[in-house]
Amino acid sequence: MKMEARKRLEGFAFILPGFLYIVLILGYPLLYNFVLSFKNMDVKNFKTAASVFIGFKNYIFLFKDETFQLVFKNTFVFTVGCLVFQFVIGFVFALFFSKKFTLAGPIRGLILIAYMMPMAVTALLGKNIFGVSEGVVNDILMKTGMIKEPVEWLVSTGTAMIAVIAVNCWVGIPFNMLLLTSGLTGISDEIYDSAAVDGANFRQRFFHIILPLMRPAILSVLMLGFIYTFKAFDLMFVMTSGGPLNATDVLGTYAYNLSFTQYKFSLGAASAIVLFICLFAVGLFYLKLISKEED
Amino acid sequence: MKKFKKMLAFFMAFSLAAAMLAGCKSKPAQQGGDSTKGGGTENTVKDGGAQKTDEADSSQNATEVSIWHYFENEADALEKLVNDYNEMQDEIRITCTYVSREELMKQYTIGAVSGELPDIGMVDSPDMASYIALGVFEDITEDLNGWEDLQYFYDGPLSSCKDAEGRIYGLPNNSNCLALVCNMDLLNAAGYTKPPKTWDELKEIAAATTDPADSVYGFAMCAISNEEGTFQFIPWLYSAGATVSTLGSEIAVKSLSFLTELVNQGYMSKEVVNWSQGDAYNAFCAGKAAMLETGTWQVSTIDADVNGTFQYKYSLLPKDKEYSSVIGGENFGVCVGSKAKDACVEFLKYMQSAENNADWCEIAGKIPVRSDSATLKDMWTEDERYAVFTEGMNYAVARGPHEEWPTISEAVYSAVQSALIGEKTPADAMAGAAAIVDPIIAANPIAK
Repeated sequence: MKMEARKRLEGFAFILPGFLYIVLILGYPLLYNFVLSFKNMDVKNFKTAASVFIGFKNYIFLFKDETFQLVFKNTFVFTVGCLVFQFVIGFVFALFFSKKFTLAGPIRGLILIAYMMPMAVTALLGKNIFGVSEGVVNDILMKTGMIKEPVEWLVSTGTAMIAVIAVNCWVGIPFNMLLLTSGLTGISDEIYDSAAVDGANFRQRFFHIILPLMRPAILSVLMLGFIYTFKAFDLMFVMTSGGPLNATDVLGTYAYNLSFTQYKFSLGAASAIVLFICLFAVGLFYLKLISKEED
Repeated sequence: MKKFKKMLAFFMAFSLAAAMLAGCKSKPAQQGGDSTKGGGTENTVKDGGAQKTDEADSSQNATEVSIWHYFENEADALEKLVNDYNEMQDEIRITCTYVSREELMKQYTIGAVSGELPDIGMVDSPDMASYIALGVFEDITEDLNGWEDLQYFYDGPLSSCKDAEGRIYGLPNNSNCLALVCNMDLLNAAGYTKPPKTWDELKEIAAATTDPADSVYGFAMCAISNEEGTFQFIPWLYSAGATVSTLGSEIAVKSLSFLTELVNQGYMSKEVVNWSQGDAYNAFCAGKAAMLETGTWQVSTIDADVNGTFQYKYSLLPKDKEYSSVIGGENFGVCVGSKAKDACVEFLKYMQSAENNADWCEIAGKIPVRSDSATLKDMWTEDERYAVFTEGMNYAVARGPHEEWPTISEAVYSAVQSALIGEKTPADAMAGAAAIVDPIIAANPIAK
């Protein structure tokens, strides 16, 4: 009994550093932010500390606010748009580069450069690439005759999101490719061999072998991708500042703007909490899927 | 699958590390020597290769005073001023630290909660009112009592250091305003020998100098979605006779309609909604715009950037009803919680003495904040480029001071953007801005 208690204590000692880290570094700010989101703290009452609890008013205000509705929608459009393209293209690349041909390895490595690049640099590149009169994209489209007039990529509210998604995919594709490639290498050659003996064509191999065996990997990639993309900030911050007219504003940039530019701290906290809740829900969903998988 | 899990773990660890390292960015970098080009907020964070300003520790008992600033082109001049001060006495020891503008503003907001602030902080003048309200800056009214020099400070810049009750929280460091600069080669080629004086002339010349084949626009300005966009729009608003308190008025709509028309006719690029002042300036220097709405701080670099490729000429911004411009500039305030408040005030007084302000502004290419500084040197009247800005200061209006200026500003630049890209009519756009701004100003009028 004594021995067991001691062992238990030891166990606690081992998790203590991690536990403290989570409580102090993650827990406290999160709790503080949560409390803040139910107050009315802004530039006017900050110094006097006269802010009071106002219940759910910040949340109600946000969800009634047209700009926030747009930002909320943008965040999902951006996330889903990015996920679809970067996953599909990333998967195709992963399948392609899993073939053993000359230079497959080095080329795969080179594609990763986009992922290694700091997001701020990528965003600046994107800003130039999608310029109206001097941008490369318009230049190519014009020269190949696909368009007659230059597209106002980052200037028009209708096209800015497409440009931002495209730039994010540029980074997301290598990320997806890499994770899916390692998933693919986990499928042993013997399974392919026996499928070949049974006369399975590529389509059958893909749907009946690759996809089912890759299921856990695919789930993880999609979930990680969702989390990375949903909390995007630096890309928009540098490339468009959320503009034109909030057309590329997402929850991350919007919360930052409320808190650090407008000094509406409680509203900023509330929109950050909305972001948190969305990600938390996705996280729970993922955990559930995983546990189901393991069962 | 094992390999996959390893990979996944690697990515998790990598992103966790990245997130943690991102936090390190908030740590201000020590001031390095070099500087980066570009006006306004287009600054670069410089974290590495830095060293402290102060020299050998000659005086150990001296009061330490830290200054955080975001000067880039002017950093060397600030260093010199500080070094001179450190050498001439051994009571106070000043250390300068460069922090990128975006980061510095964030630090003030965080510092207002955590109390981690420098002794002296630099701030863009329209932002000062908000930071005073947030409790970042210390009231130094009593400390300046009896300081005779105060009477020489221009009202506009000094008012940006005060709260609604007229208490003083810092001293203005420099001023700037906006004017027009023309590419005279393009104007001459189109048959014009002088810069435009009125809106009509501006439009006429813009039409004549626009050349779509060469992607040259008649006029360029900045209408980006931040404070710079508001800064550049204000002169047009006030020239028509409107103010930020009358955004819904017909004359306010007229000013926005004028700019919208320039875009719709193709005389101004729609891309101005994504251009910072630095971007617009670069377009002008590259010969892609015949005329530019430009700031005082850009004079010091224009010769190098144009590099003799064309002749240029400065003039006041063209007027509708009256000439107009807008005051920009930076202030230095003593931060709350500083243990060396007296030393800070002493240094601020030294830094903003008539001579030092004149020297400083000459090197930095800015306009002094004191009437007696402006007469010490002839640069602001003899150099015809600066003379235009000096004259422009007579017409320049201040932004605020108002603690909710950022919200007012956002309403203004959003309205400008929505009209320029054709999302709303100028009338609807201005009505939208007025709906946000009017209640704010009604509740808390802009201090006179």
